[in-house]
Amino acid sequence: MTRPNVEDRSLLLHAALDGELDAAGVIEVERLLAADPVLAEEYARLKALRETIRAKAPRERAPDSLRLRMMELAEIKQAPRREAKTARWRDPPSWRSFSAAMAATVVATLGLQHLIVASNAPDAALQAIVSAHMRSQISGQPVDVVSTDRHTVKPWLAGKLPVAAEVVDLAEAGFPLAGGRIDIVAGAGVPTLVYKRRDHLISVTELRAESDETALPRNLAVEGYPVVRWSDNERAYVAVSDLSPTELDAFVTAFRHAVARERGGGAGSGSGN
Amino acid sequence: MTSETARRNFAEQVLPHLDDAYSLARWLCGDATDAEDIVQDACIRALKALEGGAPVERPRAWLLAIVRNAAYSWLGKNRPRAIVLAGGAEEAEAHADALETGGSPSPEATLIETADRAMVAAAIDALPLTFRETLVMREINGLSYRDISEATGAPIGTVMSRLARARALLAQKLGTAP
Repeated sequence: MTRPNVEDRSLLLHAALDGELDAAGVIEVERLLAADPVLAEEYARLKALRETIRAKAPRERAPDSLRLRMMELAEIKQAPRREAKTARWRDPPSWRSFSAAMAATVVATLGLQHLIVASNAPDAALQAIVSAHMRSQISGQPVDVVSTDRHTVKPWLAGKLPVAAEVVDLAEAGFPLAGGRIDIVAGAGVPTLVYKRRDHLISVTELRAESDETALPRNLAVEGYPVVRWSDNERAYVAVSDLSPTELDAFVTAFRHAVARERGGGAGSGSGN
Repeated sequence: MTSETARRNFAEQVLPHLDDAYSLARWLCGDATDAEDIVQDACIRALKALEGGAPVERPRAWLLAIVRNAAYSWLGKNRPRAIVLAGGAEEAEAHADALETGGSPSPEATLIETADRAMVAAAIDALPLTFRETLVMREINGLSYRDISEATGAPIGTVMSRLARARALLAQKLGTAP
């Protein structure tokens, strides 16, 4: 094996920072960093720069007026024609009801798609979960209960659903809780937790596991969104986001560890092994 | 007349990424109102493309490629000099080489962390266009190398070296006391 030159080693650091390396690459970088203090300093600098950019130059939300205009552009609306004529857009009925109409359109169209694909699609539940996430984004109302405090979200969900959802605090891992909502999957309400990363949202839906097998996280893409699903011996989970797959993976790792800690009371995280 | 399919695909593949589109446009043109015009132009193009019916595999990268094209047309009309400068990016990349091995003091990680919003924005704005778009797509839009490559049409190796140069320039600017 040849020693990578200075240029390549620098690119390797960037790739490590960007989560673009496979396991072998990560090990290589760890080895290089341990052996070379100059390189380690460079890496610390890159990390500081990343944190600074994320904190001080966050992704901005598109103005609602722009969003509405773009919906108008594609003639996305649910209102019947006669209503459209009177209420149209000079004097929009309010953003909230407009987006509700929009959400209804998406549901209706996706519903149609389900009919077509349900027979050979492995999982209509997955589709439903991703649609719920998309809808929550488009409507600008990602949560039914807004709270960064898991002790608020958990009882709220427990009050609406027959099963109690596990709500974990991931703020320290860089994924603060935004709240919770109830999605409808296969005709039943299921708890969905919403976490934040910068301006991105991550929805995690908890389902009854079909078997008590433990399934390791699997990466999928549905409707262009990265999706990760996994289960442990009691529950199945689906996480979906518009984050990059690598960041979503980081989220899933943090979430699983926190849930294992929560269940095991600190000692019994062995179920994941 | 927009077909039902195109409309549905627009709702599913374009609208969810409107924040990303807007952010990219804003960093490329530097102005909130102009960014809205660019995004609108891009959405019109996207809708037209969806009308063609070709399936979109990576909607976010695809949309940002369209936004980028719309931004370049806008810049060509309104800021022709910015485009001319972008043409010299390869040269700038060569210059950056010198910068990295040059005698300037290493930027301090702790100093970088103390930069305020205005300083960070100014430093990003000062980057040459090709470096800026690559950096924004990675750090602000959170695209993978592969997605950036698709959105900018540059090979992954070029994406990586542009990103490294962009970061070196930013670190230099933010990490050395004025």
